[in-house]
Amino acid sequence: MSVTSEVSTDDNTITIKISGRFDFAEQNEFRDCYYDTSPGENTQFIIDMSGANYMDSSALGMLLMMREYLGGNAANISLINCSPDIKNILTVANFQSLFTMD
Amino acid sequence: MSENMPLSSKIPTVLIADDDIPNRLVLQAILERQGYCVLQADDGVQAVDVFRREHPDLVLMDIKMPNMDGYEATRQIKAMSTDAFIPVIFLTATSDSEGLARCVASGGDDFFTKPYKRILLQARISALLRIRELYNTVQYQRNELDNHQKRFDREKQLAKRLFANIIETGSLGLPYVQSMLSPMSLFSGDILLAAPKPSGGLHVLLGDFTGHGLTAAIGALPVSSVFYGMTAKGYSIAEIVTEINTKLKMILPTDIFLAACVIDLNPGSHTLSVWNGGIPSVMIYGEKEQEITRSLPPRHLPLGIASDESFNQRVEMIEIRQNDRIYIHSDGITEAANPEGLMFGRQRLEDVFVKNTDSAELFNDIRNELIKFQDGGAQQDDMTMIELRYNQQQLEDTVFHDKAQSKRAEQPSSTWDFSMGLSADLLGCFDPLPLLIQSVCDMQGFRGQRQQLYTVFSELFTNALDHGILNLDSTLKGTADGFAKYYMEREVRLSNLADGSIKIYVAHQPNAEGGLLTIRVEDTGSGFDYQENQISLESNVGHSGRGIQLLNTICEKIEYMGNGNIVEVTYRWR
Repeated sequence: MSVTSEVSTDDNTITIKISGRFDFAEQNEFRDCYYDTSPGENTQFIIDMSGANYMDSSALGMLLMMREYLGGNAANISLINCSPDIKNILTVANFQSLFTMD
Repeated sequence: MSENMPLSSKIPTVLIADDDIPNRLVLQAILERQGYCVLQADDGVQAVDVFRREHPDLVLMDIKMPNMDGYEATRQIKAMSTDAFIPVIFLTATSDSEGLARCVASGGDDFFTKPYKRILLQARISALLRIRELYNTVQYQRNELDNHQKRFDREKQLAKRLFANIIETGSLGLPYVQSMLSPMSLFSGDILLAAPKPSGGLHVLLGDFTGHGLTAAIGALPVSSVFYGMTAKGYSIAEIVTEINTKLKMILPTDIFLAACVIDLNPGSHTLSVWNGGIPSVMIYGEKEQEITRSLPPRHLPLGIASDESFNQRVEMIEIRQNDRIYIHSDGITEAANPEGLMFGRQRLEDVFVKNTDSAELFNDIRNELIKFQDGGAQQDDMTMIELRYNQQQLEDTVFHDKAQSKRAEQPSSTWDFSMGLSADLLGCFDPLPLLIQSVCDMQGFRGQRQQLYTVFSELFTNALDHGILNLDSTLKGTADGFAKYYMEREVRLSNLADGSIKIYVAHQPNAEGGLLTIRVEDTGSGFDYQENQISLESNVGHSGRGIQLLNTICEKIEYMGNGNIVEVTYRWR
């Protein structure tokens, strides 16, 4: 399985770890990571890309779906540990204006 | 599925073909007790006949019968039922292997040796009927799939034709444009559109939808119609991308969007304007420098993501020089993989520009390098690229086809007039030209003269705004990098504009050949000494004088009034 999520209740964050290819094949697994959560107002979502080696435009679409589901502009989603290639894909699409990136 | 499958619900029918009547009666009794429906035949000919009429589910076949033996009857029955499985069980007295081999060769599925053991016979019959049912289910599903596939193929073909019609109404195939568009599936996820502007120059849109195939093709419809429609009416690329964004945001699901780069190549001002949302940097190759001199990175989100309120329509404008080359490409180029899974990448692309020795071959060099690198590897994504060589004369000569206009029925020449006043706050954010041209052409038709009319309106309005209201100094344009400075300054002054207004008055009078169109533009600026400047204006050959020269060739009369803040032109058409 290349998408896993872990919930830390104490500091109010939900971390989703992506490994391998991040593309349309992971759609359902990825969605399940945030569908079943019951985020509070201050819940922070962290997508840890340290294990991801590839990302395509349908994965960008999946990130948009997540952002919309979690309240659009009110959503608090960070992308961390992106490889240079993945960072490039995200910045070409100017996703730094929608997501927090390190 | 079970609803459509007409099988197991009905009672199975078994045909017994045997010339021995007692034999038949014994079998009939056994089968009817089992709940089967039984049909009978005296010989092979009758068996084939009954089979054709009644379509039984299974046949018990004696071998030796008058008129036609069991082998031949079986062959004919099997030939009649090629798309269904009808089990045939031979009833035989012999158990010699040669006879049994003949049973199988003629199409028999099993054989049963007399005298019959009831339990064994029942077991064989029900086993074969189960196989028949299984076979029919598979057959049914295969037919369903077949039909689906056929319907899907038909629809795909239709959509492909539709898509091609939409995309290919563009004006690619211009002498200064080279492009490649290589879709990996039936429809491309990439689109490439180009259209000449009514004021001269060209708009180009290179777009890349999330995914490819049908979703991409559906999204391409509104994009191309907005792009072509608004370009023909004289709208700017900022207004065009705003409109496309609104449309796509409305119709596309959240996870589908269009990375797009839209450019405006303007031979009047030697400028290139770029709106880039999600497409790799636009590269400018300087003819003089023989290297990439500018790179315009994506500044915006792709189209179809931002809401109307947060959409950013800001366009970047740079100066462009004769024979400079502009390159725009989708990420399919840099992400093209070789058989080892390595990507072509930005560096290899830039290396082509460094290694090149003849700029006319740049486009081919890139393409060849790409093919060499891929080395027959499978194409992963749509690969689209366009090269535009800036050639002022060729761009100005690019004919604007006014398709909408030429199809309209001829309108009688009539009398009308209207006026329009624009205050400072509106001048800062609204371009009245598309609206003006559209209104004038709607009222009078002006077959094939839209481009000329656009030039007249555009020159008059731009002069009033730039010089009358904004007080811009056109001599600034005379210097090498003056154009860019001029337009930067223009933008600054326009956004800070607090005072001033422009009035436009348009009147039409019919005459025997066509009519006379009078356009008067008045601004609240301080004007200029037109009597003193008249001669120098007419002999002016620099960039900044072009406007007036152009007006002189199109209009019958140009007259300045007041303190030079009012200008009136007369345009005669026939």
